[in-house]
This record gives sequence, C-alpha cells and structure tokens, in this order.
Amino acid sequence: MNFRWLRSGRVVCGAALVLVVALSAMLAPLLAPHDPGEQDLLSILLPPAWMANGDPSFPLGTDSLGRCVLSRLLFGARTALAVAFLSALGAGVLGTILAHAAGYVGGCTDWLIGRAVDIWMSFPPVVLALILMVGLGTGTDKVILAIILVDWTRFCRVLRSEVMTVSRRDYVSAARLIGYSHWQTVTREVLPATLPLIITLVSLEMGIAVVVEAILSFVGLGVGANQPAWGQMIADARQNVASSPSGLLLPMLAIFLCVAGFNLLGDGLRRTLDVRQTAIRGA
Amino acid sequence: MTFKLQRRALLAGATAIAFAPRLARAADADAVTIGWPNDVGTWDPNQRFTPDAQSIFKAVFDSPLTQNQQLKLVPHALAAWELAPDALSMKVRLRDDISFHDGVRMTTEDFKYTFLDRIKTTPGLDTANSWRKVQDIEILSPTDAIMHFSSPAPTAPQWMSFLGSYIVPKHAVEAVGAAAFAQKPLGSGPYKLVDYELNARIVLERNDAYWGPKPKIRRVTIQVIKDASARVAAVQSGQVDLTVNLPIRDTVRLQADAAFTAALLPITRVILLQVRNDLGFADQNVRLAAHHGIDKASLSKAFFNGAAVPLSVPAVSGTPGFLADFSFPYDPEQAKGLLARSGFSVEKPAKIGLATTNGQFPGDYDLARAIAQMWKKVGIEADIQVIEYAKYFELNRGGKLPEATLYSWDNATGDPEIYTGYLLNPKMPFSAWKGMEIGQKDMDLFNVANYDDRIAGYRALNREAVSFGATIPLLQTVMTIARKKGLEMEAFGQWLGVAATLSWS
Amino acid sequence: MTRMIAGLLVRRALVAVPLLVLVSFLLFAALRLLPIDAAAMSLPPTATLAEVAAKRHDMGLDRPVIVQYGIWIDGVMHGRFGQSIALRRDAGTLLAGGLPTTIELAVCAMLVASTLGLGGGLLLFAARGTWAEAAGDLVATLLMSVPDFMWALLLLLVFGVLMPVLPFIGRLDPGLTRPSITGFLLIDALTTGNSAVLFSALRHMALPAVALGMAFAPPLARVLRSSLLDVYHDDYIRQARLRGIGETRILLCHALKNAIIPTLTLMGVQFGFLFGGTLLVEVIYGYPGVGNLMVDAVRNADLPVIQAVGVSYCVVVIAISMITDAAHQLIDPRQHAR
Repeated sequence: MNFRWLRSGRVVCGAALVLVVALSAMLAPLLAPHDPGEQDLLSILLPPAWMANGDPSFPLGTDSLGRCVLSRLLFGARTALAVAFLSALGAGVLGTILAHAAGYVGGCTDWLIGRAVDIWMSFPPVVLALILMVGLGTGTDKVILAIILVDWTRFCRVLRSEVMTVSRRDYVSAARLIGYSHWQTVTREVLPATLPLIITLVSLEMGIAVVVEAILSFVGLGVGANQPAWGQMIADARQNVASSPSGLLLPMLAIFLCVAGFNLLGDGLRRTLDVRQTAIRGA
Repeated sequence: MTFKLQRRALLAGATAIAFAPRLARAADADAVTIGWPNDVGTWDPNQRFTPDAQSIFKAVFDSPLTQNQQLKLVPHALAAWELAPDALSMKVRLRDDISFHDGVRMTTEDFKYTFLDRIKTTPGLDTANSWRKVQDIEILSPTDAIMHFSSPAPTAPQWMSFLGSYIVPKHAVEAVGAAAFAQKPLGSGPYKLVDYELNARIVLERNDAYWGPKPKIRRVTIQVIKDASARVAAVQSGQVDLTVNLPIRDTVRLQADAAFTAALLPITRVILLQVRNDLGFADQNVRLAAHHGIDKASLSKAFFNGAAVPLSVPAVSGTPGFLADFSFPYDPEQAKGLLARSGFSVEKPAKIGLATTNGQFPGDYDLARAIAQMWKKVGIEADIQVIEYAKYFELNRGGKLPEATLYSWDNATGDPEIYTGYLLNPKMPFSAWKGMEIGQKDMDLFNVANYDDRIAGYRALNREAVSFGATIPLLQTVMTIARKKGLEMEAFGQWLGVAATLSWS
Repeated sequence: MTRMIAGLLVRRALVAVPLLVLVSFLLFAALRLLPIDAAAMSLPPTATLAEVAAKRHDMGLDRPVIVQYGIWIDGVMHGRFGQSIALRRDAGTLLAGGLPTTIELAVCAMLVASTLGLGGGLLLFAARGTWAEAAGDLVATLLMSVPDFMWALLLLLVFGVLMPVLPFIGRLDPGLTRPSITGFLLIDALTTGNSAVLFSALRHMALPAVALGMAFAPPLARVLRSSLLDVYHDDYIRQARLRGIGETRILLCHALKNAIIPTLTLMGVQFGFLFGGTLLVEVIYGYPGVGNLMVDAVRNADLPVIQAVGVSYCVVVIAISMITDAAHQLIDPRQHAR
C-alpha cells in the first residue's frame, strides 16, 4: 500500500477537519466550560462573549434555556461522530456483504438483491428515515439503526458493479483454480480490490449520517431531549433566530465543517486510491 | 402605513433583483390579514373543542351567550336566560332578529337541534360531552324554550358561552349532512366564510345583514402559519397585520418597536402538571417534593419575561376558585427532606416520566426541560417524552401516560367547575389522576345546584388537592399579540371574537 | 420514432407497476405493524375502550394485513385513499392539494440546479489547467457539504430576516385568490393571465427553489466537467479544431451534446433525492405541499396520510427513473446499436 494518498491536499485537509472534530468530541469533558445540560435561567440567549451583552464565562453564548453553546457544540460532536461512525460502519458492513453476494454469486441472488435495492431506493431517503423513526421511536440507537436500514442501499448499488468487474478478473479465477473456497476467494482476492472504494464510501457516508441525524433531530424524531445534538440545537435556535442568530449559525457551521471534512477526505481518497482515475487526469 | 412605504423605497434597489415589486394592497382600510397558528380542523363548531379555533368560530357562528370584558356573562344569541334554583331546568329566550347567512331565520328549532337532536343522532361530537345532561328541550315558541337536565347543571349558562356552543342551522346540516357541513359551513355570525384553503387560508367577509354591531373591517384573511418564528417574521415584514402566540422574547422586542403594538395579556389559561396517582407518583412524598422543587418565579422570569403569575391552585386570580391566602412555596430543602423520607436523594433519584408537547403553547418544551433540570437538583430524575396534543388522550385512555404531563388549560368562563372540576374528574379524559379520595369529591361538586355552596366546595377542594399532591399548578400564562400600529382592537381578557372588533385608525 | 418512445415507456411501465404494488404493500404492512391505535386516535377523547374496539372493527383493523391491503387497493381504484385521522378528510383530497405544489417546487428547483450546475460545469471546464480550476473544484466540494435544509435556513436568515427582500412563508400573498385549474399555480396563473398571482407565486417560490437548487447544483457541475474532460479526448474534437471551428462553438455545439448524457443521468437520479429534500424545505418555508403534510402526519401518527403520501413519493421517484432510463436510451447513440 503506497502512501501517495497522504500527499493529496484534500485528504490532508479533510483528515485534519475530521481530527479536529474527533478531538473536540473526545476531549469534550476537558474543553467544555460547563455541563452541556446545565441550565442557567438567568442567562438566556446571551450572545457570544465578544459581543455586547456577552458573558466571558459563556464564550459562544447561551441558548433558550441558558445552556452554554460551546459546551453543547463540543458534546454534540460526540453524538454526531458516534452516529456517523456506527451508522457508516453498519451500513458499510451490510451493504458490502450484500454487494459481494450479488456481484460474486450473480444469478438469482443478484436479481433478488437488486430488486430489494430497487424497492428501497424508490423512497427518498429522508422520507424513509422519517417513517422508520415513527416506528422505532427516538433515541441514539434508533437513529443509528434507521440510518443503517436506509443507507445500506447506497453501498450495495455502487459496490455491486465494482465487485462484478473484479470478480471477472483473471487472478480471481486463478484463485479458484488453485482450490480456494468461495469464502477465501472473496476475502483474499475480491475484497482487497474493492476495499479502496469501500473506504471512500464509508467516509462519504459518515458525512451523510451527520446530516441525517441533524434532520431527524430538527424534526423532533432524533436522539432525544437529554443528549446534546447539533440538529436539536438548530431546531431550538430557529425559534429565536431574530434574537440570537449566532445560536443558529454556530451549530450550522459545526455541521458544515464536520461534513466538509468527511467529504474532502472521501473525495481525496477516491482520487488517490482509484488508479484508473489518476492515470487519466494526472491528479 | 407610511412606515411601510418608506421601507419599500429603501429596498427598491434590492427588489430590482427580485421579481416585480409587490403590488400595493387595494382598499387597505377595509381589510385585515391575520396570522393564526392553526387551522380550524373542521368547520363544524360542535365537533371538536379546539381552543385555537374558537376565535374563528365566533366570527362565523353565534353562541347563545358571551362574556364581556369583565368576564361576566351577557346575552348574545339569547336575549334572556334563567336557570332554575335547582339547576334542573333553564328557560331561554332567543332573539327574533337573527338570520343565517342564507337568509333563513334562526329559531328555537335550531337551538334544540344543536343542543339535543344532533347530539343524539350524530356520533363523534364533542358537544355530546358538554351537553350530556340535556334530557329534553321543550319548545314553547320560535323564540322561547325550556331546557331540562337529567341532573343539576349549575354551569349550563357558563357553557353557553364556552367551547363549541354555537348554534348551527338545522335545515342546512340535515340537508347536506354533517360531513359536508364540516367543509362548507353556514353560520349566522358577523362574518361569512367566502374562501377556504386547508391549512393555508381562510377568507371571511362581513355579513351586512348581521343582527348585532357591524364589524368595521369588510374582509378578514386568516393565514395559517404554524411556525411561531414564521408568524413573527410575517408581522414584522408586513405580510400580516396581526398575529398571536408569538414567542415571548419576540413580543418584548416588538414592544420596543414604534411600528407595532405588542402586548403580553394575562389570560385565564393556566399551565400545570397533570399527575398520576400511581407508578412513580404513588408516594405522596415524591409528589409533594416535585411540587416544592419547582421555582415558578424563575420560570416566569426566564420564559415569560416575568409576566406569567405563579399559581398555587388551578385557578387564576379574579376567578371564584382562587385562594388568596393559600400558597405552596418553592422550597428545595423541603423537597429534599421529603424525598429523603422515602429513601431518595440526588445520588439515588426517584425516577419518573414527564410528557410534554413541543410548540402546542409558547414555552412548553422549554418549561418541561427547565422543570426536569430543577428536579435533578433535588433528587428526581425525569425522562422527558415529547407527545402531540392529541396523543395525551389516547395515552390517558389506555393508562399509558407518564407520571407527570405538562398541560395547558384554558377556561374563559373562570368558573371553577371548568378548572378543577374538569381537570381532576377521573371519569373525564382530561384527568390523569384517578384516585377517588379526591376524584369522588370532584365529581360530587358537579351536581351541587346552589352557587355559593358549589364555589365553597371548589375552594376547599383546591386547597385539599394541592396539599395532597393531586395536581401541580404552575403559572397563569399570557397571550401574546402583536399588530401593526394603527390597527385597533378591543382588548379582551381572552382574545375571543376579536375579529369583529378590529378597525384601522 | 414515436413508436420507439412509446415502446420504451410501456416496457418500463410494465416493470414499474409490480414494483409500485410491492412497495405500497410493504409500506402498508410496515405501518400496520406499528404500535399505533388508529381507531383510538379518530375518536373523541371521551370514547370508552369498548367504543374504541367497536371502531377498530368498523375500520377493519382487526382483519389480516393482506385483506386490509386489498380493501385499500380497491379504495384507491375508486379514488378513496383512506380517511385522515387528524384532518378528517380523504387522504386523496389532501394529496391532490399538496402534490402539484411539491412537484412544481421540485421542477423549479431542478431548473435552478440544472442552470447553476451546467453553468458551473462549463465554467470549471473553461478554467481547466489554471489555478481557478482547483479553487473551483474545492468550492464545489465544500458547497456539497451544505445539506439542502441548511441552505434553506441560511437563505431564510439572509434574505428573509436580515434583509427582508423576499417572502418566506407560504405560496402566495394573503389576499390573492388562487386560480385553481390544474393545481400547478404557475401554469394556472399563466393560463388565466393573472400577473399578480404569477409574480407573487414566483417570489414565494424563489427562496425554496434556490435553496434546493444550490444543494443539487455542485454534483451536476462536477459530473459535467469530468465528462467534458472525457469527451475532449475524442477524435472528432480534434477534427473540429482542425476545421477551424472556434473553441466556444466546439464546446457548446459539439462537445456538450455528448458530455451532457452522464449529467442528464445524474439529474434523473438526483431528482429522487431532490424530491425528498422538498420535505424539509417545505417545513422551513411553510410551503403547503406534501412534505408538510407528511411531517404533520408523522407527528400525529396519521397512518392513512403517511401511506398515501409515502406511496406518492415512490410513484414520482419511479416515474422519474422510468423517464430517465427511457431518455437515456433515446439520447445515447451508443445504446442505439443494441
């Protein structure tokens, strides 16, 4: 595995952004000046500290319940990354397994899985996620489950053609001739070839998962009231947008930076790991 | 009005990039646009008791009685009424000059149809509950009738001015059926419905043949704007002339703006916690601790700009059920002590559930979260569950409500039966409390005919229920209204029927 | 030619119909499995448990799911989609009111996205080899990190609240009556010659359509750029240059024709996502389409409306992919060889 992907500007920037968010999430208890759920009813909707009326003990101001915005952003990063990581992983595993089954085995399995993907993708993802949450109820684990159930199709569809192309290659047939079982063939020959694409998709999916979590929290069907979440912060701040626009802009900025990080990372990985693309464009 | 024109001039450059400039509204002095938080749901006024819809119904229909600014009952469609001393019958005299919008005169046949006949034949009307005691309505003439009740109905006159009590035309409802009437109504009120777009717009036009004082505004357009901040933006940008249920902070901000008149009007609506008598609240110590642990003054200051009055009983000052000498103090130390007696502490908190709506009334979700936080500090851990308003009844029916529910209750009449009576009656869908030690006393008061005895009974019940922990009253809330400067209206305590009192100065 | 188009569409439709039936059945079954008591929610609060049970029997909720589905399909054939629990009218009526609104919004948003996307793609391509290309590419990636609902909130903040130049609630100025012929406001306004309604509708649609358009333009721009890059390697481009045709003409008249095919395909795929994106945008802008209807229905657990709106989303998505497939087959000359 050569390390040329490290030289891509996008990968570095994307990874840096993701790292910043990840560190904020991990170090949140140390970095946050307040408990994110602590309400100070006397200090409601304060602007950031550098503006008039700002309070230095609340660096980025407070929300409608007097909770510190900075602390909520930091702890919200935990929710966002937990959801992003677990749902991207889950969707990736499920989608990869089914894509390999479809692309490698072919025939009836392929047809069945293909039809399942068709059915799934007849629903706009947002609509499907909403309907699922009606049934599942609110909570972080339910959000993760909903995202996995909605987004595995993304992986499946894209990976399937890749798997099919790889499976037709000579070295795969050679492996079979040597006497590898199907399982060994897939894991030792096919999977390493599709791995770059999987990594790219996982990275992009993490960005998508952060957005879906924000949307669900915005509509009130997200992780629940007790956990700080960026989508919930946006929904709360929207009620008071005229009094405190920063309360709306700051979590939006957080989501943007996080998703931009994942997108840059995924994009950069796609360009550097995909040999065919780099050959044509010399990127 | 001039302010609006100046702003237009300033933005002319910016609007050049947008499409054509907005066409000026013709005949402004004759029309008003109102931003309203909810659609009516159904145009059958007897069908669903939606508080938000009552103001609109009062424009299109007539109720038998109504209230003046002092909340006193005054004649409306009825010229006179007389409740018998034993409250088993009530004589009514209908006005003889009321016509429905199609010209047909209103008679006691319509009165009987509304309050007796259609309740018997049409399923699913909420008036079946409020008028369940009506046994017969004896018609003496087209204007006179006597209502007979199966058991004493001491609050029948109050109910004549309250939720859902609007007289509907018998000939129209019978001709098209209740379902069609609910989509195309026919009333007798100061306004006619001329256009309706579900969840979007309601257009009313003045009824020039109205029997009462004619409204000054010819055309009222009601735009349904469900989102509170969208309503604020609508009134600020001039898209609507008047709106209600604004967030408190925005109302305070508009009060300082010379272009608008904004007000926080205390009204007879109370915010309280409906509590269960079992599960996590079976222990009285936990219930009373929960009440002592809430700092109502802080809640008022934080979310209502101090305009909401903390309450110790489920009745507001100025109504008969209010107790001036009774107060349930905010005492976190006492709360901790009570919890300690049952083995709970901050480290080992009592666990309960708290249900709340989000957006049903201003500040609901914020209040629930703030209360949960206050409870955490004394040793109660509350799991917040967001529900829709309609879900409350479904959960209650199945016994699935959590221990506490944040509830808002409106009672324009001020009568304690419609406060405590309804809120704590175990046989009614509003009460989460099913314990009969309080419940039986509550139900008995429904049949007391003598006014003074009844009031004394409710006052005593209020004191006992709160001390027992059967209810946790919180605040008397405020109604927020913002309107363009120059738009006059009569300030009612209740914001009902105001459409008819609007005028441009 | 017409026969070919018709043949293509019919073939696609034959595949789509069973898919639609299956999808609607799965949705129906899933909703029935939810722990939601539709009977209880449609009765007044004072109903007793016995009355609820009777109502459930009335509504047929105690029959097997297949039977209930059959009843629903039968109703749909006759134009009845089930009674909305919260709004007390047939879900089909609600759909008929909201669907044209959402489709209109989605189409306008797609127009905005296409214009911005194609324009952006052409600009990016024209700047190839310069620093502007890398910068533009980066900008495109960053723009793609802003989800559609955030665009909606941003535009609302900037153009609705901070600089109030455009309206951001509803579809029409209050006081204007809607001409309702087709339900598509712009078409109705044009055909009745009502310029006040037309302008008002366009102004109200501006922010939501642009918000959605901004969200879906960047991927189109990038795909166009990369397919133009591909196309420019082909021989006929070199030949056109040798013939003395100007660069701009080559780009716009020769290369674009072929390069646009992947972009069109992407547009077809994106339309499904864009149509889903209308949901939140409608909530944020109070736009009276099926998105708002769906969110209200989900909040109220209004199963008939969820079913009706959910299926209509599928119909639109499947129809679009049908049309895209057919168009792809028509336009792409390489496909004709099959």
